[in-house]
Amino acid sequence: MNDDTKSKETTLSFEKIKQDVLRPMQNHRGLELWIVFLITVISVGAWAYYVQLRDGLGVTGMRDYVSWGLYIANFVFFVAVSLVGMLISSILGLLKVDWIAPISRIAEIIAVAFVAVAGLVIVLDMGRPDRVLNVMIHGRFQSPILWDVTVITTYLVISALLLILPMIPDLAICKKEIKTAPPMLKKLYAILSFGYTNTPEQHKHLHKMIRTLMVLIVPVGLAIHTVTSWLFAATLRNGWDTTIFGPYFVAGAFVAGSAALIIAMYFFRVNYKLQDYITELHFDKMGKLMVAVCLVYLYFNVNEFLVPGYKMKSGDSVHLKELFFGSWAIMFWSSQLLGNILPIILMVNKRFRMPKPIMIISIFVLASAWFKRYVIVIPTMLHPHLPIQNVPDNYQHYFPSSVEITVTVLSFALALLIITVLAKIFPVVPICEIADQKGIDYKIEE
Amino acid sequence: MKNLSTILATLVLVFAFMNSASAEDWKVSATAKKKLNPYELSKKNISTGKKVYQTNCKSCHGDPTKANMLPLVPAPADLGSQNFLVQSDGEIYHKVKVGKGAMPTFEKTLNDESKWMVIAYLRSFDKNKKKAVVTKAVVNPEVSDVKIELDIDSEHKKLKAHLTGLKKDGKRAGLEGIELSFLIKRAFGQLDISGEEAYTDAKGELLIQFPTDLPGDREGQVDLTIKITDEDEYGVIEEKRVLSIAVPTNPKNPLDERAMWGTRANAPIWIIASYLLGVIGIWSVIFLVLFQVFQLSKMRTKS
Ligand code: HEC
Repeated sequence: MNDDTKSKETTLSFEKIKQDVLRPMQNHRGLELWIVFLITVISVGAWAYYVQLRDGLGVTGMRDYVSWGLYIANFVFFVAVSLVGMLISSILGLLKVDWIAPISRIAEIIAVAFVAVAGLVIVLDMGRPDRVLNVMIHGRFQSPILWDVTVITTYLVISALLLILPMIPDLAICKKEIKTAPPMLKKLYAILSFGYTNTPEQHKHLHKMIRTLMVLIVPVGLAIHTVTSWLFAATLRNGWDTTIFGPYFVAGAFVAGSAALIIAMYFFRVNYKLQDYITELHFDKMGKLMVAVCLVYLYFNVNEFLVPGYKMKSGDSVHLKELFFGSWAIMFWSSQLLGNILPIILMVNKRFRMPKPIMIISIFVLASAWFKRYVIVIPTMLHPHLPIQNVPDNYQHYFPSSVEITVTVLSFALALLIITVLAKIFPVVPICEIADQKGIDYKIEE
Repeated sequence: MKNLSTILATLVLVFAFMNSASAEDWKVSATAKKKLNPYELSKKNISTGKKVYQTNCKSCHGDPTKANMLPLVPAPADLGSQNFLVQSDGEIYHKVKVGKGAMPTFEKTLNDESKWMVIAYLRSFDKNKKKAVVTKAVVNPEVSDVKIELDIDSEHKKLKAHLTGLKKDGKRAGLEGIELSFLIKRAFGQLDISGEEAYTDAKGELLIQFPTDLPGDREGQVDLTIKITDEDEYGVIEEKRVLSIAVPTNPKNPLDERAMWGTRANAPIWIIASYLLGVIGIWSVIFLVLFQVFQLSKMRTKS
């Protein structure tokens, strides 16, 4: 990747925007190779999953005590990242923050991909996935699990709508402009453009619906991660039994999601040559946003660990000491330092909010966010209130087995594949919205 | 090679010596020594103590007076020997409580009562105190096929056990002076209703008053087990019965009411309502929006 095209104020015409955005959708060298690579990884993962299905969850590292392992940590991570859709396109959108226009679609693509895979990860964690419908048939209303399944499905649907609806004008353009598209895709464009011709009436109508969804997704987005946190907080376990878990998870999700968005922005800017649209200004603004959400997250972390650490209730103390000084210390402190404290310190500097540095920082933030989820899920399972005794040795520790790791890699490859395909068939930067914003007149013909 | 093993052996010896030299002595304060066993040396207490001893101490200390302890260093004392029994109750109690080296601490694993019962049991080997123990030397004939029969007087809630064995001459004879345990099954274990001195009389009979206020199930039933307390002499001899003489109760099943811990059908109304309202509310908006999207193409024709 090379990012040497300096962004200068180019005068944009509708033709140019159209061309710039549609070009990478039509010819994109290396894409086939990338897709083949992803599919290979997914096939290996699928094979590992087949082994797990055939032989049962015994092939994972999970045992009686650690019954939530890598999969659940990974699930929480995916849910977290998906929250970026709600943060960028809806919260900031409703607040009429206008610089988000070129990146909101990327945020929405990430949201759809990650929440869809999050749902799948849960199924991958099941010993008997054929019984998944029992959650709906027999699920208890008192259980956060039923709520979680409901809310994740709902979030997926609304996110998908929030991806498609604002894209309708662009798809009307695609229908007309992309002549090389395979017939299937042309059909898709035709259906999803809903006969949009940008009449003032249509414009008003469409934006009313989008705004409705933007409002609707706020409670659902908050719910998805709050309910996910309740899966933990509704138990009496050390480290999970806290009242701030909901907001703590939401804050953490904003951090992880923003980091993922910045990485994706950088990738599309360089690879799709979108320097005129995803500009340094956007990275600068995202950097500031990231500092803000990191500070909120830091504040929650201080509360989450300092307050119980001050009291050191006997159960908590076993858990906290393991995190602070024990066998989890390295993972705990590096996720706090590399994923939160250092990024804040660096990103208050304008220099570090330039595209490349902030992308590298974001990689650290995202990786730390993943490990942070791991530290939230597994140590607590290893520190039950009653001592672990008279059990085989492998019940007393947890390390993911190679099957688990491979299946987890599959989830990442799948999310990337979904993003790749969506970014291939849909314009990643909203054409009409940018034209609207710049006051450029345009017409969409039938 | 030879040198090496000599050196090693010497090292081991030195270490062993250092170890025993450095092994601290029991430190028992004067006040601790003065503590007296609050439980009397009754036959019942001694036999309770024996049970505690056999499950908790015998594995290391062996049988009292037999000196068949485990070969540990330092050795677990023969707790029935006169040398050991010169110690005061308080001293023994303290040692059992705190432990030392291979001797585990029983502070939390045995409650106070059990600790004192073991001491009572050990005291029964003490030649100086033996008189205190009320024992009537009974000699039962040699018997086989020992069994317990039970008569129930439902009206007065009295239980009469009859312990007999088959003599060599083919006749059944009552066994005297044997302690029986009457155990009622409760939620978490057995309730002993035998009373203080549950020994069979000369005819091998024992009469027990069943507690008048003991709750049973809906029909007033309880599960009773009668057995010979000390399994040493005749092995495990027990008799099980279902009695219908307890107080009938009507236990409330916490799963019957609407509660957070209830089944799905018993979920609290408010939580079902919030769930359904949330789902219906949000999804109707989603469907409304979907419906509206399809209106877009109609607007095209109008223009
Ligand atoms: C794991 C083996 C073990 C078990 C079980 C055990 N002991 Fe000991 N006990 C020892 C050893 C070894 C010593 C000697 C310790 C020493 O001198 O350092 C000892 C010492 C003692 C002493 C002190 C003896 C003395 O010379 O003063 C008493 C009293 C005693 N045990 C009582 C008990 C009683 C009562 C129980 C059961 C409730 C019990 N022990 C169970 C191993 C055991």
